[in-house]
Amino acid sequence: MVTLVTSDNEKFTADKEVAERSVLIKNMLEDVGESDQPIPLPNVSSSVLKKVLEYCEHHRGEPLPAADADTTQDDTRKRTTDISEWDQKFITVDQEMLFEIILAANYLDIKSLLDVGCKTVANMIKGKTPEEIRKLFNIVNDFTPEEEAQIKKENEWAEDR
Amino acid sequence: MSRDSPIPAQHSDLATTWAFLEEGVDHILKKLQTGVSYSKYMSLYTVAYNYCTSSKINNNDALSNRTGANLMGSDLYNHLIRYFVIHLKCLREESESLQEEALLRYYAKEWDRYTTGSNYINRLFTYLNRHWVKRERDEGRKNVYPVYTLALVQWKNNLFVPIQQKHAKLAGAILRLIEQQRNGETIDQGLVKKVVDSFVSLGLDETDPNKACLDVYREHFEAPFINTTEKFYQKESESFLAEYSVSEYLKKAEERLKEEEDRVDRYLNTQTRKALVSKCEHVLIREHATLMWESFENLLDFDKDEDLQRMYALLSRIPEGLEPLRQRFEAHVKKAGLLAVSKLLGEGDTAVESLDPKAYVDALLDVHQKNSETVNRSFRGEAGFVASLDKACREFVNRNAATGTSNTKSPELLAKHTDLLLRKNNKLAEEGDLEGALNRVMILFKYIEDKDVFQTFYTTKLSKRLIHGVSASDESEASMISKLKEACGFEYTNKLQRMFTDMSLSKDLTDSFKERMQQNHDDIDITFSVMVLGTNFWPLNPPTHEFVIPAEILPTYDRFQKYYQQKHSGRKLTWLWNYCKNELRTNYLNQKYILMTSSYQMAVLLQYNKNDTLSLSELVTATSVPKELMTQVLAVFVKAKVLINEETDQYDLNPSFKSKKVRVNLNQPIKAEVKTETAEVLKTVDEDRKFVIQATIVRIMKARKTMKNQTLIQEVISQISQRFAPKIPDIKKAIDTLLEKDYIERVDGQRETFAYVA
Repeated sequence: MVTLVTSDNEKFTADKEVAERSVLIKNMLEDVGESDQPIPLPNVSSSVLKKVLEYCEHHRGEPLPAADADTTQDDTRKRTTDISEWDQKFITVDQEMLFEIILAANYLDIKSLLDVGCKTVANMIKGKTPEEIRKLFNIVNDFTPEEEAQIKKENEWAEDR
Repeated sequence: MSRDSPIPAQHSDLATTWAFLEEGVDHILKKLQTGVSYSKYMSLYTVAYNYCTSSKINNNDALSNRTGANLMGSDLYNHLIRYFVIHLKCLREESESLQEEALLRYYAKEWDRYTTGSNYINRLFTYLNRHWVKRERDEGRKNVYPVYTLALVQWKNNLFVPIQQKHAKLAGAILRLIEQQRNGETIDQGLVKKVVDSFVSLGLDETDPNKACLDVYREHFEAPFINTTEKFYQKESESFLAEYSVSEYLKKAEERLKEEEDRVDRYLNTQTRKALVSKCEHVLIREHATLMWESFENLLDFDKDEDLQRMYALLSRIPEGLEPLRQRFEAHVKKAGLLAVSKLLGEGDTAVESLDPKAYVDALLDVHQKNSETVNRSFRGEAGFVASLDKACREFVNRNAATGTSNTKSPELLAKHTDLLLRKNNKLAEEGDLEGALNRVMILFKYIEDKDVFQTFYTTKLSKRLIHGVSASDESEASMISKLKEACGFEYTNKLQRMFTDMSLSKDLTDSFKERMQQNHDDIDITFSVMVLGTNFWPLNPPTHEFVIPAEILPTYDRFQKYYQQKHSGRKLTWLWNYCKNELRTNYLNQKYILMTSSYQMAVLLQYNKNDTLSLSELVTATSVPKELMTQVLAVFVKAKVLINEETDQYDLNPSFKSKKVRVNLNQPIKAEVKTETAEVLKTVDEDRKFVIQATIVRIMKARKTMKNQTLIQEVISQISQRFAPKIPDIKKAIDTLLEKDYIERVDGQRETFAYVA
């Protein structure tokens, strides 16, 4: 078991196997060696870590992607926006939590979770106009009309017609 | 570890960030053994992560043409470089006063510490590697490396190269340690391995940092290593040979080669094996190959098995190393074979004519066996040596002191030896090793060039064994024939097999004739058995003179003649009186004897049923046996005291004949017969050859239609050489005969060209 301490100073205990789905934690345990020291995670809050641990618990035992073997695997990973049923249910959260989870996955280096998060965002964008997207994510349009025309022209090929 | 330094806030500037990171990096590189806490590790990672993910746009970057999001990291990366350079400069300064092994120890220790630390740092900067470094490399900046590789590159540029530049201080120290080891001293192999391994690690494939690259190892270590190796063994092998024998040198070279291969396993990169081994083979073997070749025969002469094995093993490692050995081996075997025969003849001045076939065959076999063992034991049965052995054996088996220029002597003696083996009362047969002896015959048979001569002699001998019933066993005969068949094919043994068929048919025939006679006549008081043998399959000649069939056997003769014609009308029976055997019971003496005789002897003795005294001419008239033969027949009787010759040309029956045995064998071969046998066989061979050559020519011409003289002759030779070595004049003679008989014709306008006449 390892003890994880969140930015808001809450302690979580998790099976080593579960915690090690984070490559960061896995590497550190390898480098420093195991002990009963708590592991501080200054960039993760307790509400997010709870979700992350839920995810890791569910996926325990699945093979981790190899550290550098990505090219072939990556291609298929990138092309599909499919998300498994459990993951879909898991990631059905409010937008703020979704982005927190993505950040945490990036920080903790949990590739599969990062994928689930990013694919979800991609699915949200899919089929929407720029205006709709701006509205969805609360983005202020900072392009000049000329810039916007230019970008539109450049990306014409991607338009659904 | 100092717990005082607080974690910089999330959006701290570069100076603050680096100050915090530098302290951690420094700790890891210099005092890792004191440990790192989880919180320290996590804070270093987090600080590096935070810096790389801080989204403020760095406008100082002159990278505005870059597409996509800006990634933070170049500042951290540059700080790392600066840090490594300073750290390595310190190490270099410390190393300057060190030499040789002390330098290696220092280098290895620092290398260990540095690479361990760098691995750590690499992980702490994972985020930098994953994003900023990856992006830089993806965009073609191949001089940007992941942090661990960066550390190695810096080590190479700031420590390794500067030290090496001073007279290759590192590699030199290793090479001197290796030399010490070659001279028998104990060295710290682990230390050598560590330093050598570091050379390998320092090689960098610019396109893929994860790929192994041996550039540095090759340039700084392997090349000079191979060089010193060559010099070392050049010197050593020369001074060793000046002092010790070649045998000793073989041992030494073998040991050295083994040692160098082990060296690769122990502390060098496996890629070096090929270069090192081939260099050693060159210096230790190739350079002294001539000397080895020259000493080879001496080793053979004294049966130095171990040395021969060693020499073979060494020379087989270099190209063309074995060929001179094979040639020398061939000459050696040939010499041994010739010497063995000369020695045989020399002992007691044996004349070639009275050479004992067994002694001759054994002498040849001994030479073959001894050298065949050498091939298997010392040369691992290598095909080239087997070929040399075969070539040499073929040479001395066919041409030696006993054969002179005759090609027929060896096949004759071998056939005679085989005959003796296959006869009844042969000791070998009783010992149960007849099969082995026959196998040994086949070893020599393989080398015989004129296999047809052997065949003819063998056929003659076999017919005698069968007719006289002196064959050791049908099994052994069959076994020998199947061996010959295996070696030369069906045609070669066809006749031999037919002879056996005739024998068994004759037995049935005799039985059925006897049965018929018992039914029809009850007056038979003669025991009669007959062999009817196919003229074409048996090397038998009918008598060249008349013979008066004695009245006593005439009825039986007539009855069988009639019986046989009835059974097989149209067949001609030729009676071979000269091969017949008879047994006569005596009634004129007190003691009854059985006289075993030939037909002619029988005919003579039967004359004495009516007379007690007969003259030579009377006997000749009564039997039609020619005078010269008759005198020889009578001479046997006189010697055996059956007849008495007191007056010239007058022969009286000896009324007081006595013998210790009841059965008296008078049927001894007559001298003239023995002598003519060999000549006759050879005559048969010559006749057969003429036909074989002619048949071969016709066969070839039929297939090719037209052919030039020269190519025809060559083709004939190549087709026939399995059976014998045809002489060119004989082939030409055969061509002439065929021209005369219109089987082939000359082609008009083309010189020396023949065409087949359909």
